[in-house]
Amino acid sequence: MILEPQKRISERGLKVWRISGVIHSLFSLLLSGGLIGLTIAFDWPIWIIGAALIFYVIDTYLFVMLIPTLRWKRWRYEVRENEIELQHGVFVIKRTLVPMIRVQHVDTKQGPILRKYQLATVAVSTAATVHEIPALDMNEAEELRFFISKLARVADEDV
Amino acid sequence: MSEPKRLHPISTVVNALKQLKDLIIPFLVFVVFGSKNGGFQLVFPAVIVVLVLIGGILSWLRYTYRLEEGELRIEYGIFVRKKRYIPFERIQSLDLSEGILQRPFGLVRVKVETAGSSKGEAEAVLTAIPKEAANLIQQTIFSAKNEGNSTHTEEDVQKNRDESLYKISTSELFLLASTSGGAGVVLSAVAAFVSQFEEIIPYDKVFNRFESFIASGVIFISILVFIGFLIAWAIALVGTMVKYAGFTVNKAGDDLIITRGLLEKRQLTIPLHRIQAVRVSENLIRQPLGYCTVYLESAGGSALDAESSKVMILPIIRKNRISEILSPYLTDYHFEPSITPAPRRAVKRYLVRGLLWSLPVAAIPVLFFRPWGYLALMLVVISVIVSYFNFKDAGWNLDHHQLTLRFRTINKNTIFMKRSRIQSLSIKESHFQRKKELATIHAKVMSGSGGTSGKVSDLEKEDVYEIYKWYSYTK
Repeated sequence: MILEPQKRISERGLKVWRISGVIHSLFSLLLSGGLIGLTIAFDWPIWIIGAALIFYVIDTYLFVMLIPTLRWKRWRYEVRENEIELQHGVFVIKRTLVPMIRVQHVDTKQGPILRKYQLATVAVSTAATVHEIPALDMNEAEELRFFISKLARVADEDV
Repeated sequence: MSEPKRLHPISTVVNALKQLKDLIIPFLVFVVFGSKNGGFQLVFPAVIVVLVLIGGILSWLRYTYRLEEGELRIEYGIFVRKKRYIPFERIQSLDLSEGILQRPFGLVRVKVETAGSSKGEAEAVLTAIPKEAANLIQQTIFSAKNEGNSTHTEEDVQKNRDESLYKISTSELFLLASTSGGAGVVLSAVAAFVSQFEEIIPYDKVFNRFESFIASGVIFISILVFIGFLIAWAIALVGTMVKYAGFTVNKAGDDLIITRGLLEKRQLTIPLHRIQAVRVSENLIRQPLGYCTVYLESAGGSALDAESSKVMILPIIRKNRISEILSPYLTDYHFEPSITPAPRRAVKRYLVRGLLWSLPVAAIPVLFFRPWGYLALMLVVISVIVSYFNFKDAGWNLDHHQLTLRFRTINKNTIFMKRSRIQSLSIKESHFQRKKELATIHAKVMSGSGGTSGKVSDLEKEDVYEIYKWYSYTK
């Protein structure tokens, strides 16, 4: 059995995911709120209100609490001299190997929420695929980008 | 050959026709929905046609090409004059094709491909030049690229060109055409026809005369539809035969050159070192006959055409002949590895995955449209059969530097990949897979501007980890 990758992503990343979850849940609030409003206005059967409330609560719990926690717990990565290994997933766990010689370029990305928490996403591109490591500490992300691009340059082969 | 040359004048017609083809829909819209008063809606298109023709002539006048100082130099543009200089060593391939307009004049269309010509567009296209000129360009570029490599004389080039891998036979061509997608259309038409017929029999018993009149109308319509399908199939058959007539694969230097077409001769060049993977695909009709299609996944060359980066190298071939034909040229590939199938206990997961979508879909008609809704249960049966075959065809093999994955989507696919060509490798395990010690493997290779991949679900976990370890550089 191969050892699992060890490094975790920033703990602030969890917070960012929860915030994204809250934004997501605003939409479901709007949806179930609208449904409840309509039910009251048009005298629809009362169970619709209950169903809408249950939907909202479950949805919010999933996207604000459960999924970000599981996601954060599972997210591991490791950048070695000749390959990058990623492991992530909530219910299905996916492990990916990207050899350094296949890396074409590395980007760091930052949305408004990530910036507020001093985080960044590192995206590693090969000729065919893009792999992201989300929510790393900004300095760490910069370092990583530099590190990978340096290693990738050394190991340049065709395609 | 350093003085600037023009294309053959026929290229004005070719270019004008191409532009007019793009304009045909706006034209129709204009003529049909245009104002009714006066002949304006007729004059206006006429003016456009004239303008396009004049534009074609002008751009032909401006378009010159020459070979100078190791570069192909093209100058063009009516208002904005553009110069494009392509160094010979950047040129990956020259593809010659003969369209219907070029053929009577002994002309060819030359497509110049470089590594950077992505987005499916060639770096440069010489619409119509004499064959001799094209051959001269080819030779100039080829000898320039092989400078210093004195063993490559012109004779060598000629000899290499004659090295033929494959030529389609008439019977193969017919088999190719009759078992392509068009045949599927016919089969479904026949199925629809028969099922209509079966439905009609109880109709007559149950309903009165008026209803049976409608039913006979249904028969009439379904016969018409069937004949329509038959005609469509015949057209597809002829179309495929014209498209793939004279399909040959040759090796020239380090390139494979594919030539095909009856009315329009097309040529494709694939540099051997750009081949990323080989894929063998068996469609539902060809598989029982023992035939398959072989594709090359290529990263560049003229493969980046409208037909995507999957280059059909053997359009139809007996499965046991692949190795014999391709092995001498793709020396590092093994085409007959022994495939390890998915373990027995995976069959349940394959079936469940099929039922997961087919049961809910079938449930709706069964619940709400009785008694005919019960026919939807057929869907469940089909999904079970399909799932079982998906399971049966799943498999893998590791052989030194080659990973072979076999899986079925609708067609049965076998994809051969070199370790050094795999861009990334993933394994996936869900909660349920972990309980059964199964895992999914997913390997991606580059193909054209994107990627293509092989994915096999529910293999033995240990096997999947073995592949993962094989791919890992950290031993």
